[in-house]
Amino acid sequence: MHPISIVFRKEIKDGRRDRRSLMSAFFFPILAPVLVYGMMTAIINIRTSAEQKVIPIVGMENAPTFIKWLKEQDVKVETFTGDPRQAIVDKKEELVVIIPDNYQKKFSESKTAAIEIVNDGSRTDAAATVRHFKDLVRRYNAGIASLRMIARGVSPEVIRVVIAEDIDVASKQQRAAAALNFIPMYIIMSAFVCGMGIAIDTTAGERERKTLEPLLINPVERHEIVIGKWLASSVFAATGMVMTLVLCILALAQVPLGEIGLNFHVTGSQILLMIVATLPLAFLATSMQLLLGIFAKSFKDAQSYIGLLMLIPMVPSLYLTFSPIATQDWMFAVPMLGQHILVVDVLGAKEVPAMAYVYSALSGIVLGLALVLVTARLFQKESIIRA
Amino acid sequence: MIEVQSLRKSFGEVEALKDVSFIAENGQVTGLLGPNGAGKSTTLRVLYGLVVPDEGNAFVDGLNIRQVPRQAQKSIGVLPDNQGLYVRLTAREHIEYFGRLHQVDENTLEKKATELIKLLAMESIADRPVEGFSQGEKTKVCLARALIHEPRNVLLDEPTNGLDVMTARTVRELIQELKLQGVSVLFSSHVMHEVSRLCDQIVIISEGTVVASGTTDEIREKSGEENLEEAFIKLVERVVVEREE
Repeated sequence: MHPISIVFRKEIKDGRRDRRSLMSAFFFPILAPVLVYGMMTAIINIRTSAEQKVIPIVGMENAPTFIKWLKEQDVKVETFTGDPRQAIVDKKEELVVIIPDNYQKKFSESKTAAIEIVNDGSRTDAAATVRHFKDLVRRYNAGIASLRMIARGVSPEVIRVVIAEDIDVASKQQRAAAALNFIPMYIIMSAFVCGMGIAIDTTAGERERKTLEPLLINPVERHEIVIGKWLASSVFAATGMVMTLVLCILALAQVPLGEIGLNFHVTGSQILLMIVATLPLAFLATSMQLLLGIFAKSFKDAQSYIGLLMLIPMVPSLYLTFSPIATQDWMFAVPMLGQHILVVDVLGAKEVPAMAYVYSALSGIVLGLALVLVTARLFQKESIIRA
Repeated sequence: MIEVQSLRKSFGEVEALKDVSFIAENGQVTGLLGPNGAGKSTTLRVLYGLVVPDEGNAFVDGLNIRQVPRQAQKSIGVLPDNQGLYVRLTAREHIEYFGRLHQVDENTLEKKATELIKLLAMESIADRPVEGFSQGEKTKVCLARALIHEPRNVLLDEPTNGLDVMTARTVRELIQELKLQGVSVLFSSHVMHEVSRLCDQIVIISEGTVVASGTTDEIREKSGEENLEEAFIKLVERVVVEREE
């Protein structure tokens, strides 16, 4: 048997019996889809419930036509009594609408009438309801304005100087993929989380248990040992990644995304393509962890260095959020950025050039292999057994 | 056969080995005796290829450990200073792992592992994960994994350290057994009576220098002391005095 395979088999066997390695491999893949499901369900609830909220109104009798119009729009209203400000401060209501006594007078004279929307701008949960109501007011406004113009023999088009027509080239599926930007981030993060336990155990753990010296006495090249450990850790990372990906997609499929206008449908081949696109990251992430792991004196020491690595997967998604640059070919070759774009594109059912997969796989594996060789180099040093 | 020629090694400011030379013949037990920090472990580490000397050479069965470290490592079995074990693997799995790393073929591996388990009287613990093993049980596992490839040279770094009487005796018997098989056994110790009882040759190191070597009688003669312990102390002190002058 080849030494790499001997080391690999031993590490897999050892890792499968290690609670810490298993926890780190399977905790995230189980947690992530639960988070995805919870988050998306909450978002949908907030958005849809905004349209079903009963609007508390003070002075309903002051604007009978407006109220009638609201009811025609399927908006539920109720008379509010008490102190509106207090009700908002006490978080009893999300908003209270006040229609002043002079509303009807101003309305009849065709003057601008004010209605007040009492709300708390710091409450994110109420924002959707407030926005929804303002939208209703705007629509009512436009309708009445047009009627007034027509009554005066003026075309309503006079005041509509320019209108913006929305021509969105993104498909519904692509819009959904953009809204689900956190999915690629979770998948990339899982590469770093899932292999972490075993990567630390086979490096810092080996030193902590004083098994490194006996191991290195065997007639095996150092790079063979490192590669065996790398492959074993990568199997853990890859398993966790595939689980995260598949479970997150399954969780999303359970969420009624259609209710917020997102068209989400993922086929088996799309899942397969995403797996192909992201798998190289498992190898890259563990190579970084092994490199840091051999520097660390103990398991805890390693955990604190490697914990910082977890920030790396956040970088591409932040970059893509703030940079409006169109996707360029070179981006596929940047580890993590490339895989992120690939996942977004595959999710959005966008045509992806086959080269992109090659770039993304090569960049991940080449960089990973380079780091492994650096690690093996450091393993050659005799100080490795002393530290 | 193990041959060490004028080894010198410094770790930064510290000169761990100044001048160490000796030969450990086949079918003989050679004891490396010295106080703590004398350079015993460093010498052994040079021999099993983990430390590269600044000067001098070490040969295992004529193979220069600096030039062909992996080949030389194939013919040695080592019980190192660090007797770490993988807590989740069983005793047998440890033995098999090291056997495979030495390219012992699977059939021989199983047979040989069972043999060693029997020889070291560890049948009852062989298939238990080593977590929670006593020091004696751990040492047995380390010994078994060091011997699985039937090395012609065996290096033992303080093998009886911290062992109970029963296990220490097993280890001593094992050393005798290896000797009878014609193996060259080199072991370091600071336990005098053990060295005098087991060894055919003794090499005394102090402060990185070999201060005396030979049979027990020769050492006693050289120092002019009847008792080996007295001889040892006298020889070691001589070096310290010389250095201070």
